[in-house]
Amino acid sequence: MTSRAPRSVRLLAAAVLAGVLSGAHVAAQAIQYERPVQVAPQQETIGGGYVTPDVQRPRPREYWLQVADVGLLAVAMALAVWFVIERRSRAWTLTLTAASLAYFGFYRQGCICPIGSIQNVAVALTDSTYSIPMVVTAVFFMPLVVALFVGRAFCGSVCPLGAMQELVVLKPIQVPRRLDNALGLLKYVYLALAIGLAIRPEIARDFVICRFDPFVGFFRREGFAHMMAIGAGFLVLGTVVGRPYCRYLCPYGGLLSWCSRLATRGVTITPAKELDCGLCAKACPYGAIDRMRAVRKECLYCARCYASCPCEATPGVAV
Amino acid sequence: MSDGITRRDALGRVVRGTVLLGLGSTAGFLINKAEGQVVWQVDTSRCVNSRLGEAGAEVCMLCTTQCVVAQSAVRAINSFRDCGRCYVCPAYYNIRSAVDERGLPSEKLCPRDAIRRTPIGFVDPEDPANNFYEYVIEEEKCDGCGLCVKACREPLGLGSIVLKVRHNLCVDCNRCAISIACPHDALFQHKVADALEPTLARQPQP
Repeated sequence: MTSRAPRSVRLLAAAVLAGVLSGAHVAAQAIQYERPVQVAPQQETIGGGYVTPDVQRPRPREYWLQVADVGLLAVAMALAVWFVIERRSRAWTLTLTAASLAYFGFYRQGCICPIGSIQNVAVALTDSTYSIPMVVTAVFFMPLVVALFVGRAFCGSVCPLGAMQELVVLKPIQVPRRLDNALGLLKYVYLALAIGLAIRPEIARDFVICRFDPFVGFFRREGFAHMMAIGAGFLVLGTVVGRPYCRYLCPYGGLLSWCSRLATRGVTITPAKELDCGLCAKACPYGAIDRMRAVRKECLYCARCYASCPCEATPGVAV
Repeated sequence: MSDGITRRDALGRVVRGTVLLGLGSTAGFLINKAEGQVVWQVDTSRCVNSRLGEAGAEVCMLCTTQCVVAQSAVRAINSFRDCGRCYVCPAYYNIRSAVDERGLPSEKLCPRDAIRRTPIGFVDPEDPANNFYEYVIEEEKCDGCGLCVKACREPLGLGSIVLKVRHNLCVDCNRCAISIACPHDALFQHKVADALEPTLARQPQP
């Protein structure tokens, strides 16, 4: 016990005491501090059964959990297609929307996100030293492939950013088609801008889509004030204009929109079985029903048109 | 062209097939060069708070202020293997403050009181200086301001306290906000396996 610490420790104590006596209460007058040890004492030196504690090294999210997220993304998209195309059920679609918002949004905090992954893919394609994990590759390509076959099922009830806006649509107005089309071009400008800024040399690289993600602050329950304000602005606007971010700004929505033009299946207003009543067009908050026909590249898979259809509601009348 | 397939359908199939092929080969290219998960970490040899020979009394608090997580994902870590376990720890006490009746500085350095000081083994009440003390940083309180890191530097300390990104707290931003702000380019991405290296202090990085 007697000489566990070097003598300098005791000298220090004496110096500290001397400091008291000489009036070290003046804050500016620092005590003469000298480190009592020259090397860190190890457990053998310290003795007495002392064991050096481990430094906590928390691990990042386990890899298999990330793979599981990709699996969940696939399952959610399959369910979205099933609920909309087969079941034609608004209620089930809404349930899935809420579930996606809870999991991909508030639990996973909006990451991994296909929208932001555009930038990583762009960098990985142009910079030979940059690579992206397979999980990110999968997250980027899966919704695009789905869109090639059945349209924007990802947007409908899987994307947490979309789900956030989907749930605040209260009294949507029909945006005049010309204005709608013109504003829709913004997302391609944004896409080009985001890619352009991402593929710059590493020192100047900027991931604008992530920096200006309107809802990630809500998902994390914290964020920069200006981003929270922009997010709140989108939500307020979203009560009267259906999904403003998805339709006019989302760069990934632009890519999905291109892919969905080639889809053979999707939400369809069947010419032979419809009543031409126009209720579906009124029900669509996204302007995706033009002249009584569903426009696949605009359709966001919400199933409101089916919910509004009198043929759907009347048993015995096949649609 | 067979019955039931219009020219338009056929064209659609060709285009879709082409796009699929394009997406597939792009994905293949990316998967081929994939190198696994990377995480952000602080290069302690670059961090101005732990770097030796760095003039200036001001502590750099950019890790605290720039992180998108409100209580920064960067935390101070005491590498116990390198800690001097001093009676008067310059990172625990504000050694510039007035000395109290016990002969110890009256103020603590950490503004969040995140460092816990416990004596190791039996303490002789007549001679408390003749003892080692364990300094544990309570991570839930720490916000990575770096005051203790700077105070623990040579020659006053042994440099056992460093700033590190905690991977359970880090939200893995595409481009870490701290890395943009850091004037010394001390934040870098590396593979998960390297990030879990046991050596925490003064770890030289390429």
